[in-house]
Amino acid sequence: MKKKRCFEETFEEINNVQVPRTLPLLDHIDLCEEEDGVVGWPPINSWRKKICHHHHHHNSRRGCTNPTNYVTVKNGCGGGSRSNSMYVKVKMEGVGIARKVDLSRHHSYQTLIDTLMAMFVNEKVQGYKLAYQDKEGDWLLAGDMPWGTFINSVQRLKLLRNGN
Amino acid sequence: MVYSFPEEVLEYVFAFLSSDKDRNAVSLVCKSWYEIERWCRRRVFIGNCYAVSPQIMIRRFPEVRAVKIKGKPHFADFNLVPERWGAYVYPWISAMARSYPWLEEIKLKRMVVTDESLELISKSFKNFKVLSLSSCEGFTTDGLSSIAANCRNLRELDLRESEVEDLSGHWLSHFPDNFTSLVSLNMSCLGSEVSFSALERLISRCPNLKTLRLNRAVPVEKLASLLRRAPQLVEFGTGACSTEIRTDIFSNLVEAFSGCKHLESLSGFWDVVPAYLPAMYCVCSRITKLNLSYATVQSPDLVELISQCSNLKCLWVLDYIEDAGLKALSSYCKDLQELRVFPSDPYSAEPNVSLTEQGLVTVSAGCPKLQSVLYFCRQMSNAALIAIARNRPNLLRFRLCIIEPQAPDYLTLEPLDTGFGAIVEHCKELRRLSLSGLLTDRVFEYIGTHAKKLEMLSLAFAGDSDLGLHHVLSGCESLRKLEIRDCPFGDRALLANAAKLETMRSLWMSSCSVSYGACKLLGQKMPNLNVEVIDERGPPDSRPESISVEKLYVYRTVAGPRADKPDFVWTMDEDGALRFS
Repeated sequence: MKKKRCFEETFEEINNVQVPRTLPLLDHIDLCEEEDGVVGWPPINSWRKKICHHHHHHNSRRGCTNPTNYVTVKNGCGGGSRSNSMYVKVKMEGVGIARKVDLSRHHSYQTLIDTLMAMFVNEKVQGYKLAYQDKEGDWLLAGDMPWGTFINSVQRLKLLRNGN
Repeated sequence: MVYSFPEEVLEYVFAFLSSDKDRNAVSLVCKSWYEIERWCRRRVFIGNCYAVSPQIMIRRFPEVRAVKIKGKPHFADFNLVPERWGAYVYPWISAMARSYPWLEEIKLKRMVVTDESLELISKSFKNFKVLSLSSCEGFTTDGLSSIAANCRNLRELDLRESEVEDLSGHWLSHFPDNFTSLVSLNMSCLGSEVSFSALERLISRCPNLKTLRLNRAVPVEKLASLLRRAPQLVEFGTGACSTEIRTDIFSNLVEAFSGCKHLESLSGFWDVVPAYLPAMYCVCSRITKLNLSYATVQSPDLVELISQCSNLKCLWVLDYIEDAGLKALSSYCKDLQELRVFPSDPYSAEPNVSLTEQGLVTVSAGCPKLQSVLYFCRQMSNAALIAIARNRPNLLRFRLCIIEPQAPDYLTLEPLDTGFGAIVEHCKELRRLSLSGLLTDRVFEYIGTHAKKLEMLSLAFAGDSDLGLHHVLSGCESLRKLEIRDCPFGDRALLANAAKLETMRSLWMSSCSVSYGACKLLGQKMPNLNVEVIDERGPPDSRPESISVEKLYVYRTVAGPRADKPDFVWTMDEDGALRFS
């Protein structure tokens, strides 16, 4: 309960007129782009994307030794030299670039939120909820369960605009 | 005037002027020169289809034979421009069909072309010779059938990188049996198979064919037969080369290639089995342009091929070439002018090949004529950029894409400001620049100070504040096109430099911090600009004025606000008048 209030205090709500809108970031996903990838980045045109997708299939047929990682950087991958770092991707709705945050550096939702606020400081619009994807692939609102349980379950994070 | 030359003489002299800049200068000398020049201008280039209307063009230049028109902004290539945005060519074709019966050439880039347009072209221009559709969309192979069937004097049909709805390969068979004028055919973007015998017969009866770029569907075992019928080819693009290697296919191919004494450019190579590459060794010494950017082949095989191309001027390749391959390139290909290295696996988190900044540094050191670079990599350092700048002050185009957004100098973890600063400081003739990596406002200070010849600048995830944008707009005297995505640039710099925008072709800003209020103000201040807000969240009026717009496209125009906007585009201050006090 206390944690929920922290959320509301931290993310001020504004009275936005609710207008129906499409999420532009999800409009033009081509074969190769991951669901939470940045639209149009890296800047390669659709012809090159086609061959990259085509090539992945070829690789598996030819038993190419280059392993390709199609999937998002998950819990525990990538990032720093610290052996127990826990980078997960954070995506803010409406913002092109996804960031990575090292969850091992945090011990509570509050410090995590503070860090996220600092990361996306250029965004003028306030009023977001923090959601996370658990191991089963489901998206849930963060804050309901103890931090320790959350840490063991979280795969990636998303900041959703209010009203979603 | 008593002392001036007769019109015919002036017209004769003007005919030697091919550059638009020269002709534009001539037409400013006096009214009679303007009149004479406009009647004898045969080629028109329209960099933005919305900057001028077909009617204005036709009124000024009544005797045009060749038109080149560009439509969507460049970022449309990366899906940043929503569908139905615009750039329809039909109004142009329809107007020209009425007024330019002798039109011979139409070249379009990033425009929406319908089958109706193609049919109209094929029936309206009796002497039609050249159709080039680069990165266009909206038509099907039925449209191509009209062109093939009706354009009796067609010389060039180039569909490079267009999105064509491929209903069937039958369109090619519509070229009549007595059609022999083909010089250039680029069908590489098409998916379906054309009738091979129709293709063979077409090639056989066109003795002037110089360029043939096949599509993926033509298998490698059929290439020899085609090459034998067209040994005069200068540019050749294969289809897929993935058939299991067989001695007979290979030896046929070697024989066919050895008959091609004029080949200078090769492309295609989709899925190429490396064992086929040696079939081309006999032509390598004459090759000046090589596009291997669809060849998923490892470095040693690439090096084998490239090491034979001592006259290579232009190489497009995947990053499979790796640093080692680029080192070989730099030692074998001393005439290299242009290098493009594309990513083989752009979406993986980890590098899959050993291609780093070092490869580019090596090429910059070893290839003294290198002037044009497009390079995708996963790490960069200021030291490398400084080295490249010092090695190659003759660079004209430098586009660097570090795959991870905002990646710092991997050695020092600092921003890459000083590295790119060195590029603009040393490369005084630089015309085109794309930045990436971690960049602060400082890099823009360098750019504004030094990049005086810069015409096109592309930015992503860069800068700290409006100051960055201000440096660019106030300092880059030659700037024509500026495209920005995901940078914290906003109202102040834009409004302070509003007048600058009239000296440019266009400005694109998406996912930046430009408010709707500022867009309105800009539209009011600058009547010669179309200030278009692209926002798929609904009318910008329904949100507070301080909210940032999703995308902004500003361009100078003499045609007024465009009439074909979709429902997610708004032109600021369209009804002109007294919006507020």
